[in-house]
Amino acid sequence: MTADTFLFWFLAFAIIAGALGVVLMTNPIHSALGLVLTMVSVAAIFVTLQAYFLAGVQLIVYAGAVMVLFVMVLMLFDLKNEIQAFSRGRIRGALKIGSVGILSGLIVGAFAKALIANQALGAKGSLASTASTAVGAIKPLAENLFFNHVFSFELLGVLLLVIAVGTVALSRSKGGTHDRN
Amino acid sequence: MIETNIFTEITANHYLILSAVLFSIGMAGVLVRRNIIVLFMSIELMLNAVNISFVTFSHYFGKVDGQVMVFFVMTIAAAEAAVGLALAVAIFKRFKEVNIRFFEHLKG
Repeated sequence: MTADTFLFWFLAFAIIAGALGVVLMTNPIHSALGLVLTMVSVAAIFVTLQAYFLAGVQLIVYAGAVMVLFVMVLMLFDLKNEIQAFSRGRIRGALKIGSVGILSGLIVGAFAKALIANQALGAKGSLASTASTAVGAIKPLAENLFFNHVFSFELLGVLLLVIAVGTVALSRSKGGTHDRN
Repeated sequence: MIETNIFTEITANHYLILSAVLFSIGMAGVLVRRNIIVLFMSIELMLNAVNISFVTFSHYFGKVDGQVMVFFVMTIAAAEAAVGLALAVAIFKRFKEVNIRFFEHLKG
């Protein structure tokens, strides 16, 4: 077992453990900690896939900004362990878990079928050896982002501005869900 | 015949199945949990699963378009988290609780 293989299995274990922690913990702070574990491990997975810049962005945006947002809102609420963290009803819960199982079975079955039908993607180095040296670099990423997708990129800027203004307006609003006393 | 090197040779399928498992866990969280903040965390899990898929295909096909798409997904995820948490704050101000069963009487 080489170092790369061990790294993948370790990170996969960390990701799954963190995700299960998010779903199964009743205290929301523990859920947030599980989400941090998952985010950092996903950033490391990006490094093993040679997407170094995305790994940095993942760490800064998710593990930095978004998680700080989550944890600050949780601290603001001061929630104790929830009395009813999970949804009610054994039959409805079984239905929901069953639907998740069906979906995951479909996805894994599709992968297995594709693996049997076409070994090209799974064969080691057949595709990756030719072009993966260029993928890791930042320059082709920047060229693709600012030449081919420049309008989408600018639209994202507008979207973020609208979101920022809308969030401030929403949290200061006096109508709707706000107490009128 | 089952290949015996499935544990020692990491292929694209490993990453894709990891992504599928993560997406399924996130979906289970969205369906089962009642706290709206944990719901948003589960949605973040699903978006991260999609990001892993994008980066995997980008790596194995040798094109950077997938990584560009991951940028967009990250931006949307951050925006969604901001708006969702603002809504959660609004609900908490009214009901002193962030359980989604209060969504059914949000008539102002």
